Amino acid sequence: MEAPPRSRDLGHLAPIFLATGVGLLVCSLADALARATISPTPLLYWAGILILALPIFYRLTGEEASPRERLALVCLLGLSLYCVKVFRDAPLYTFSDELVHAFNANQIAEHHHLFRENPFLEVTPYYPGLEGAASALMKISGLSSYTAGVIVVGAARLVLVAALFLLFHRVSGSARVAGLGVAIYAGNFNFLYWGAQFSYESLALPLLLLAMMALAEREAAPREALRTWAAPVVLATLAIVVTHHLTSYAVAVVLVGLSLAYWYVHRRWTPPNPWPLAIFAIALATAWLFVVASSTVGYLTPVLSDAFDAIGNTIGGEDQPRGLFQGGNSNVAPTPLPARGVALLAVALLAAAAPFGLLALWRRYRREPFALLFGLAAIAFFGTLVLRLVPPAWETGNRLSEFLFVGLAFVAALAAVAALGRWGRQRWARPLLAAGIGLVLVGGAITGWPWDSQLARPLKISTAGATISSPPLALAEWARDLPDDARFAASTADAALLLDSGGKLAYEGASPDVEDILDEEALASWMIPLLRENEIRYIAVDRREVASDTLRGYYFSRRDRDEPLRPRSVVDKFDAIPGISRIYSNGPITVFDLGPQR
Amino acid sequence: MRGHGDLRIVVWLAWLCALLAFLLPVSVLSLLFAAPLALFLTGYGVTAAIFARRRIEPRQFALFSLGLSLAVLALGALPLNYLPGGIRAGWWTLLLLLVVLGSCRAAALRRPRRYTAPLGRTAPLRVNGAQAALVLLGIAAILAAIVLAFTPLGAKQAIGYTELWIQPATIAGDPGARIGVGSGEREDSSYRLEVEFGNGGSASRELELAPGEKVVVEVVDSGPNAPTAAAPVPVTATLFKQDSATPERPFREVKAWIPAAEESP
Repeated sequence: MEAPPRSRDLGHLAPIFLATGVGLLVCSLADALARATISPTPLLYWAGILILALPIFYRLTGEEASPRERLALVCLLGLSLYCVKVFRDAPLYTFSDELVHAFNANQIAEHHHLFRENPFLEVTPYYPGLEGAASALMKISGLSSYTAGVIVVGAARLVLVAALFLLFHRVSGSARVAGLGVAIYAGNFNFLYWGAQFSYESLALPLLLLAMMALAEREAAPREALRTWAAPVVLATLAIVVTHHLTSYAVAVVLVGLSLAYWYVHRRWTPPNPWPLAIFAIALATAWLFVVASSTVGYLTPVLSDAFDAIGNTIGGEDQPRGLFQGGNSNVAPTPLPARGVALLAVALLAAAAPFGLLALWRRYRREPFALLFGLAAIAFFGTLVLRLVPPAWETGNRLSEFLFVGLAFVAALAAVAALGRWGRQRWARPLLAAGIGLVLVGGAITGWPWDSQLARPLKISTAGATISSPPLALAEWARDLPDDARFAASTADAALLLDSGGKLAYEGASPDVEDILDEEALASWMIPLLRENEIRYIAVDRREVASDTLRGYYFSRRDRDEPLRPRSVVDKFDAIPGISRIYSNGPITVFDLGPQR
Repeated sequence: MRGHGDLRIVVWLAWLCALLAFLLPVSVLSLLFAAPLALFLTGYGVTAAIFARRRIEPRQFALFSLGLSLAVLALGALPLNYLPGGIRAGWWTLLLLLVVLGSCRAAALRRPRRYTAPLGRTAPLRVNGAQAALVLLGIAAILAAIVLAFTPLGAKQAIGYTELWIQPATIAGDPGARIGVGSGEREDSSYRLEVEFGNGGSASRELELAPGEKVVVEVVDSGPNAPTAAAPVPVTATLFKQDSATPERPFREVKAWIPAAEESP
């Protein structure tokens, strides 16, 4: 047994930690200015991100850092980037998925049971892993779903970066490749914001990487240790299956891919070929899908079939391709040209690195099943970029990217280390490489999140010593005092806030067709029966067009920006219903009460 | 657990954390004990049980402790869902404690006699004065970032608003309505509230509200014909903003129906 060292040096961690703190402070300042409607230059925010990340990237490019220091650096990177997201929105959730999951967590805390109804995203209560985990802290310590969620997702983030580091380290045998791989992975389109939200994938993806790391160790372990290493894989798979549908299919795909890769390399189905684990994952995910979460079929099928149809139509010339960097609607300011340039340059840089990385992979690691899988994932990643040109397939491509980016990060890290091997003694080599990874980080964030939503917006403001909530949030806070079983029809953003901050069941969208009930200028005969059929008593009509926007609909309107309004008749049409009450108004938002069911 | 100091410490810590997390009434204090139990000790026990006969690196052990804790938390709510009373603080605390106790016991039984604690093999950190100062400065910067993030700020360009709501109510045995006015305006505002009942009753109030202030006005229906179950009385509350450019124009309006007194919510 190797004797432990007598003591450990901090290495360069101390100054890098300071830089991280300063970077976070600069990001927080940029967000604060944005919340104060001072409209700071976005450069301040990106400078904060780079102050935080570049010292870590630079240190990771060197040879001097110990594996332990590299692990600490990637953990610092993962947590500090998570803090960027948390500080942007504090102290409330502002992503629509977060509000949906917070509602589920609140329902568990309040009613002490799982699988309660959620009309906003019906499938979510049937994957209760994240909310179950949050409910432990909520119940034991009496925390809010926000605090508990921030802690659980933060812990999951730590697992993600540490597991990825150890996975890459095991597969490559190089801590340098591992560190750089995690640094590059932070540039995946969803790392900064989407993947850091209180949503089921934010817990499931780290557990997938934990399982993959255990699988990699299992592959290298002696035969008598195979069962031992399978145990964490089984436990993580179980947890993934109850947490997130797509990740449960991803774990099955990874295991099947790995089994095939193992067979391709070793021509053996005997252990450590993980095919029994693949069968286990498939059986478990299928059983959960059909026994517990059968509504997932109806949820995912239209998304995937629309994506496939659209791909065919776009290739056949029937549909126009989607323009890159398109906002959700015409009222959203386009992404500025320099920002588009950075995003495209980041992808170009990754595309340029990929062939060299794949070459290095083929030369050194083609006997490693995991490395082969990473290589295939890296190639597939560029395939998913094409999906971004097809409107309904955009989301599918975007969601796939964070899984496939694992492979691309490994391949790009191999290319980076190969480049350092060739030019590492040149003075410019390490700063240039760190800057390149910085470019990938910033470019990925720009690609993955709308430009106008990178910085915070005013949700609660301070004036004359008081704190005032935005009109949609004020509506939700008012709704808290209504009976627990009150059901609302509302625009998407209002409905999300009614769920979380209001604690009320809120329907939005097209099924049931609440959208048309709210948007049409005249009342149609089917509207009230549909509301009654769904036991919806309250109708929250929001004249702001942005109320249908799940990213931008929660905040204060601004004097210095035009905000399109729906015609007054979308509100007034409800006055014609006999016996209806107009019980709340805050200007843009009016609530009607249909009265109790008769 | 004899001979396995780490397991004994984990078990004692689990007992301590479980008791204090469950008993302490203040959320922040309770969290100080609940978080180690839920996010580390549970996974430590499970990892120790799994790898009882096989040494793994301390960093792997630490990662599994955190990761498998999360896995146990994700799975734990399922069995609790079917216990009497469902998912409650007591059940959660008991489950986590049982997982730690059971897995540590299993680890102790399976481990060889001479076994070095997995996380005990790590060497202590050596930190000099300059490094400590840099870390402290970094912590200060992070704390400043947190304070900035959690502090609501003034927003000159944000457009203020006023809320008006109405709720039929029985006031001292008489039918009437509660009318709420909330100022989300960015400066002090003055309002005139006029309430009209369908049976001829009416009332008027002058209101001065500071930003963030809310008032609820109770108005009794003073009209001649009291509402009945068959003929509820409509009530309309109209708010005028006195300090606006058009003080005589209705600023907000809400309406409700006043049922017979005994029917009011």
